[in-house]
Amino acid sequence: MTEKGEVRPVSLYSARKKLHVRSVSGRFARWRWALVWLTQILYYGLPWLTWNDRQAVLFHLTERKFYLFGAIFWPQDVFYLAVLLILSAYALFFFTAIAGRLWCGYACPQTVYTEIFMWIEEKIEGDHNRRRKLDKTPMDGRKFALRAAKFGAWGLFSLWTGFTFVAYFSPLDELLASLTTFGFGPWETFWILFYAAFTYAFAGILREQVCEYMCPYARFQGVMFDQDTLVITYDEARGDPRGARRKGVVPASVGKGDCTDCGICVQVCPTGIDIRNGLQYECIGCAACIDACDQVMDRMEYPRGLIRYSTENALRQHWGRKEILRHVVRPRTLIYGAFLVLITFAMIAGLAMRTDLRVDIIRDRATLAREVSDGQIENVYRLQIMNMVERERTVEIRVDGLDGATLQEGEPIVLPAAATGAATVQVRVPADAAEPGSHPLYFEVSVREDPGVTVREQTTFMLPR
Amino acid sequence: MLKWILVLWPSFLVAAVAEAVFFVVVDPQQLYLFGEPVRYSPIATYSIGFFGFWLACAASSLLTLFLQPVGTRPPAHR
Ligand code: SF4
Ligand code: SF4
Repeated sequence: MTEKGEVRPVSLYSARKKLHVRSVSGRFARWRWALVWLTQILYYGLPWLTWNDRQAVLFHLTERKFYLFGAIFWPQDVFYLAVLLILSAYALFFFTAIAGRLWCGYACPQTVYTEIFMWIEEKIEGDHNRRRKLDKTPMDGRKFALRAAKFGAWGLFSLWTGFTFVAYFSPLDELLASLTTFGFGPWETFWILFYAAFTYAFAGILREQVCEYMCPYARFQGVMFDQDTLVITYDEARGDPRGARRKGVVPASVGKGDCTDCGICVQVCPTGIDIRNGLQYECIGCAACIDACDQVMDRMEYPRGLIRYSTENALRQHWGRKEILRHVVRPRTLIYGAFLVLITFAMIAGLAMRTDLRVDIIRDRATLAREVSDGQIENVYRLQIMNMVERERTVEIRVDGLDGATLQEGEPIVLPAAATGAATVQVRVPADAAEPGSHPLYFEVSVREDPGVTVREQTTFMLPR
Repeated sequence: MLKWILVLWPSFLVAAVAEAVFFVVVDPQQLYLFGEPVRYSPIATYSIGFFGFWLACAASSLLTLFLQPVGTRPPAHR
């Protein structure tokens, strides 16, 4: 990276060399694909699940509720969302400190969708060599057919992705009903196309450029690295000097290191870099080069791991696996880890203690206090009671805090399932119950069906002079 | 191309955050437009809100790019 004030060599933007990435297999590729499956089954599958006769996971924009299986979150619960975001940030810090860009290499949607798009590309146009050749041939019937098939497949996949995205915000059954007639609302149509276009452009066209030029995480992840962070490294001491040789030749006998200079690690790299030049900020840590190099080592009958997960310290001091693992536990990871555990517990505790009834008391502003018959003073309040479970419930209201405080028409209030009910209540207090002025008053709202659920809220009662 | 990415992309990210924060706090049904209650469907209101945020943020990014000292501008902009 460059110094401040210096011009970055951004000419790469215009003259980007199109990469024809060679596909790779091996144990890290299997991990990557496992995560592709896992994340995408979740992503495409979740909107189809039902729970309590409604969509299980839905940010219902119209109702302003977030359904998450048995729970419903309201805008008032945004605190939990904030905590969840902080939690994700610490998880990211934690894993980055331990093993670098694990997120980028295995789980980031950018990586996952690029992986899927490259798979489609390879199925239709063939491997990296055939794709490069196809690129060079002039347009003819065959090339046109291949291109059309590829863009079509990408397009359909993107549309499905966009449709799924919208299904997180707008109920899926309504969307499906309009799907048969293509009668989506204008904004639904717009967002499906918008998200599809994003998917298509990011995974089909921009690919590694998103990581290089657009991703904020890629820019700041470096600060979480230290000398004990596991990163993908080429073992220069073992590999150099590089050079071709026949299978099984002992490297020392020809004055060479273990690297055969086959270049396969470069061909498989989705960002097109050469890991043998050292750790570079373009490297997303996908470990494709490890798989590729291990296969070469197997073929040459050399030990695996010329390119491997290692740390700066390990390389310098020739540590083995055990020493590397021992250094995973260090102040940085302990601190990130401690925050992670603390916040997780706080979140669980917060969720466990969340009452599923919420009461807001609004004093009637028009009349502060009113004298009614038989020497009593009346204050009027408006209670907004939120029933946060999906059952109809009846609540009872009581007041206390001032001697002789009584509630007029203490009729129980029936709240529909997962809805807010409002009630206007009058509280009367004998005029001589206390000094003139404002006094604390408590409302206690309890649920008849769930004896344990009671909410106590404070407000004020005005006694005029 | 670079210039447009630099203008449109950061503003997109910030607009997404602003949109989320704003509409968590404000119910679109309670907004007023020129003294009239907003009558658009919620999804329309959310969408228009998002593009409003995006536009404002993009204008800011554009201005940043424009005011950047000459030596530090990306080549596409010089
Ligand atoms: S650099 Fe950014 S976009 Fe690329 S894989 Fe990493 S997190 Fe995802
Ligand atoms: S050098 Fe390339 S192939 Fe190797 S881990 Fe980094 S991004 Fe992946």
